[in-house]
Amino acid sequence: MLAVQILIDGFAISALYGLGAVGFTLMFGVSGVLNLAHGATMVVAAVTAWVVAGQYAANPWVAAIAGTAAGVITAFATYYLVVRPIQRSRSVPAAEKEIFVLTGTLLWGIMIQEAVAYFYTDNPKTVQPLIAGVMQIGGVRTPINELLIAVICWTVIGLLWLLVNRSKAGKVLLAASINPRALTLLGFELSQVYLQVWAIYGVLAGIAGVLLATFLGASSAQASQLTASAFSIVVLGGLGSVSGSLLAAYVVGYLETLTAYLISPAYRTVPALILLVVVIYVRPHGLLGRR
Amino acid sequence: MTDTLRGLLGSRQVWIALVLAAALVTLPWMVSAYILGILTIAYYFGVFAMSWDLLFGFANEVNFGPTFLIGCGAYAAGLLNAHGAPVWACLIAGGAAALLGGVVLAVPALRLSGPYFGLATLVAVLLLQQFIVIFASTTGGEIGLTMNDILSTEPITNYWYALGFMTASGLVLFTLSRSPVGLILQASGQDRIGASALGFNIVKHKLAAFCISAVFSGLAGAMLVFYLGTASVGTVVDVAVGVQVIIAAVLGGRRTILGAAIGSIFLILAGEALRPLGQLSTFVVSGIALLVILFFADGLMGLLLHRRGDT
Amino acid sequence: MLDARGSAAAAAAPLLAVQGLTKRYGGLVAAKDITFQIGAGEILGLIGPNGSGKSTVMQVIMGIQRPNAGAVRVRGVDVAGWPSHRIAQQGVGIVFQHSRPLHRQTVLENIMLGLLPDKLLKLVADRHVRERARAIAERVGLGGVLDRKPGTLPFADLRRMELAKAIARDPKVVLIDEPFAGLTASEMDSFARLVADFRADGRAVLLVDHNVKSLAALADRVFAMYLGERIAEGTAEEVTRDPTVRRVYLGGGIDVAKRPPRAAGDAPILQVENVSVLYGKAQALEGVSLHVHQGESVSVVGLNGAGKTTLFNAISGLVPYNGRIVWNGEELHGRSAAAIARSGIVQCPETRELFGDLDVRENLDLAGQHLPAPEASRQLEWLYLLFPRLRDRERQIARTMSGGEQQMLAIARSLMMRPKLLILDEPTLGLAPVILEQISNALEQLRSTTSITVLLGEQNVTFALPHADRIYVLDHARIVWEGEPSCFAAEAAATYL
Repeated sequence: MLAVQILIDGFAISALYGLGAVGFTLMFGVSGVLNLAHGATMVVAAVTAWVVAGQYAANPWVAAIAGTAAGVITAFATYYLVVRPIQRSRSVPAAEKEIFVLTGTLLWGIMIQEAVAYFYTDNPKTVQPLIAGVMQIGGVRTPINELLIAVICWTVIGLLWLLVNRSKAGKVLLAASINPRALTLLGFELSQVYLQVWAIYGVLAGIAGVLLATFLGASSAQASQLTASAFSIVVLGGLGSVSGSLLAAYVVGYLETLTAYLISPAYRTVPALILLVVVIYVRPHGLLGRR
Repeated sequence: MTDTLRGLLGSRQVWIALVLAAALVTLPWMVSAYILGILTIAYYFGVFAMSWDLLFGFANEVNFGPTFLIGCGAYAAGLLNAHGAPVWACLIAGGAAALLGGVVLAVPALRLSGPYFGLATLVAVLLLQQFIVIFASTTGGEIGLTMNDILSTEPITNYWYALGFMTASGLVLFTLSRSPVGLILQASGQDRIGASALGFNIVKHKLAAFCISAVFSGLAGAMLVFYLGTASVGTVVDVAVGVQVIIAAVLGGRRTILGAAIGSIFLILAGEALRPLGQLSTFVVSGIALLVILFFADGLMGLLLHRRGDT
Repeated sequence: MLDARGSAAAAAAPLLAVQGLTKRYGGLVAAKDITFQIGAGEILGLIGPNGSGKSTVMQVIMGIQRPNAGAVRVRGVDVAGWPSHRIAQQGVGIVFQHSRPLHRQTVLENIMLGLLPDKLLKLVADRHVRERARAIAERVGLGGVLDRKPGTLPFADLRRMELAKAIARDPKVVLIDEPFAGLTASEMDSFARLVADFRADGRAVLLVDHNVKSLAALADRVFAMYLGERIAEGTAEEVTRDPTVRRVYLGGGIDVAKRPPRAAGDAPILQVENVSVLYGKAQALEGVSLHVHQGESVSVVGLNGAGKTTLFNAISGLVPYNGRIVWNGEELHGRSAAAIARSGIVQCPETRELFGDLDVRENLDLAGQHLPAPEASRQLEWLYLLFPRLRDRERQIARTMSGGEQQMLAIARSLMMRPKLLILDEPTLGLAPVILEQISNALEQLRSTTSITVLLGEQNVTFALPHADRIYVLDHARIVWEGEPSCFAAEAAATYL
């Protein structure tokens, strides 16, 4: 029974990690930005959902949509207020733009985190499960919400796959991650491509944040931990590789679940960290990364 | 010797720093013990930031986990002290432990390029943190380790120690940055291939820079915990502390060494000054730092020097 | 009086001896079995077009790349595979093609760097270091700017500083990459004298450049490369007269087939007026003017570094410029590169810029996204007729294709956008003759079946001439000749090689 429990819990948490990580790696692959305000973006989505559900007594689905919208707005704010000004700045030498964007998004993330804590405290916020109730799977009582999370995550990932591989706009995004200069030569405005990426990122991070709130709860204090997790998973899978992120999310998710159940919840993050160290030294471009 | 001395005296930065140091020396007669305490912490922070700037500003390596080195130094000193060793021995041990940790981290990490080096340093911090938490029986875990000794019970004495240490460290690090060693480091950081073609072993020099950064960080970390009286994850290891170090250095003005100290003092004083805002203080300080980064890429020192290809 | 040119070289063992040097990058053989020697007080010129392998050879000698086979002996010691800094310590200095100063340091400090030993604990420089740095600076002509930062110096002085850095360690072997690129005529003279002084010092000097002309006065001997292999060796005159070299650069006999007359439009659809481009300090284009009529095929001929790519990038809106560029009556200044591409000027760049991880069809489909679906499929069909090989390899990943196939894909992708003006930058670079013919035929078909205007940039004159209604010759950032292909052989060819 423990095995089934681990299997199910691990699957759900990995799916959630996967959704967050996919957004993060897509952002890096297409626009080269490592958004360190990632966790904060998820938290904003989670807290917005909580506020809408609580203060406006809306049903959880409406709250979820509100939360996702908040994620998109936060993403655009990050782009227009922080990332774009730095990328266009003439006082920052080109070679240092990356570290400035990193520091800038880091600071911006802290600002968001503190603002959320100020208005809503840093207590964990939970949102009612989207679908209440439990069901029996292999003799284990599992909240239906947990399964729903896995379903939603994979559906969204599936839609993303369809978008990138089957739609015209998606192909342009894919091409941008391979060779942005070539896109310009073919008459595509890169600025529009980047806008699209930030929008998609906002949706992904928003949904991930809302689902997290229904599952484990989210608090502003977790923002940096969420960013760090996404970052590690993405590096493990290979910076810029979406399938790599998914694979790594499952590796990390199951490692954590196994450790929590079999050893102790306090050591949850250790095996994944050790794996990350090994990967960085042995295969820095990650499990499925290029080069 | 005269060249380096001439270089030092001719630099506007040094004069700014000396004026500032002179002002800081007079403070014990002008402000309360509470403020002196804040500044004491700020000075140790200044050493953290200056060490970071040596590595970033000169060797061009971004260390995302400066608290790995700081933490190694702090906890080594703390653990040794828990076994009864005298303060001076613990301080030396702290510096040595950080040096050892630095070498163990840097030798493989310097082989990595781009974001992966930074990542390795970040992971080192996370691992150290986990390590301390897991072996809580020895290290005090999340609660922390209480020191058997402290530097002094007098705020003014502690203030002198910190100011003296920061000034001495600043002098050493700045002189290094202006010396032939610093020149080679800058070349290694700015242009790897060009520096190699001029006959310099890049890896050797970057490793040396890492070691210097480690020794100063570790020493400062050790001194800090002897001031605070406890060594805890939250004050010397947490990633958030490391982030503050980086922000202080960038805010103060990267590649200036002395700017990093100014940035730290500013950051900590600003945090303190905005305390009445309660929870919003961090928000405002981060906001100011973000604005500085967006509009004054060369930081506070850059503003002071009216940077135009000047130093 | 020692005649440095002859007897010193004959008497002593060679300072630099390269033997059987081979370097592969994956499947591409960049340099194959290269062997040559340079004695003390000798200057060897290493020439070849882009892709010939000359830069690879130089990088391997300096340790920036490791060879797959062969030996590199510096004063008798085999340094092949050593790291750069050890080779530098062994006595090899290099002047890179692009200046790489330390921007935050003064000129004096930049040169002093070259004099510092590789020691960790040098807190104080030796007393004589500053004096020596000053002396070296005086020697190369930088005595007056010692306390200035590189950002304030003109281009030629930056190049002088590179020379100074290279000889700081008093190397026995000096490698210089494109010594005269970006210099004015008078600057070239003073640089040539500096290089000759190196020879007089008794050093072995390797000059790497594109063509013989620029090195002829300086080099004692010339070694010519093409596609990674040695094609000729000897004095400058001997190499210039060598038939293989002539074929590579000029294509042997230049006979121009009679072209069918074209009814060209009256007013030019593209007008470039007095355009200048600065890359940092280097003058990449200077006062260039040209025009192209509707339906014309115009070739811009010039060697590497002449400015062809810069010119095309200015037209395509990829680099800032001074001057006017008018397309269909409208000024292009200020429009984004993507907008210019959509307005009908499509560039197929020298680097091809394919989407390497996508297959042929996906590359073409992306280009056709702006067209309505039925038009896009018609265009695709037509392109497959033009380049049948692409149809066969429709699902092959672009980066796994051969150079020739990639070039065809790049051209087809540009054509997919139905351009009014197609800019082709060096389509034949590094390609085997058999592929050249196929591309040549495709261009001919283009010309006879469509009304497309073509602007072709080439260093391979044999390829360019038959496809051109008019020719411009670009040399060192300026247009130096304009005329019809039939006149080229008589008037321009002599100065070209």
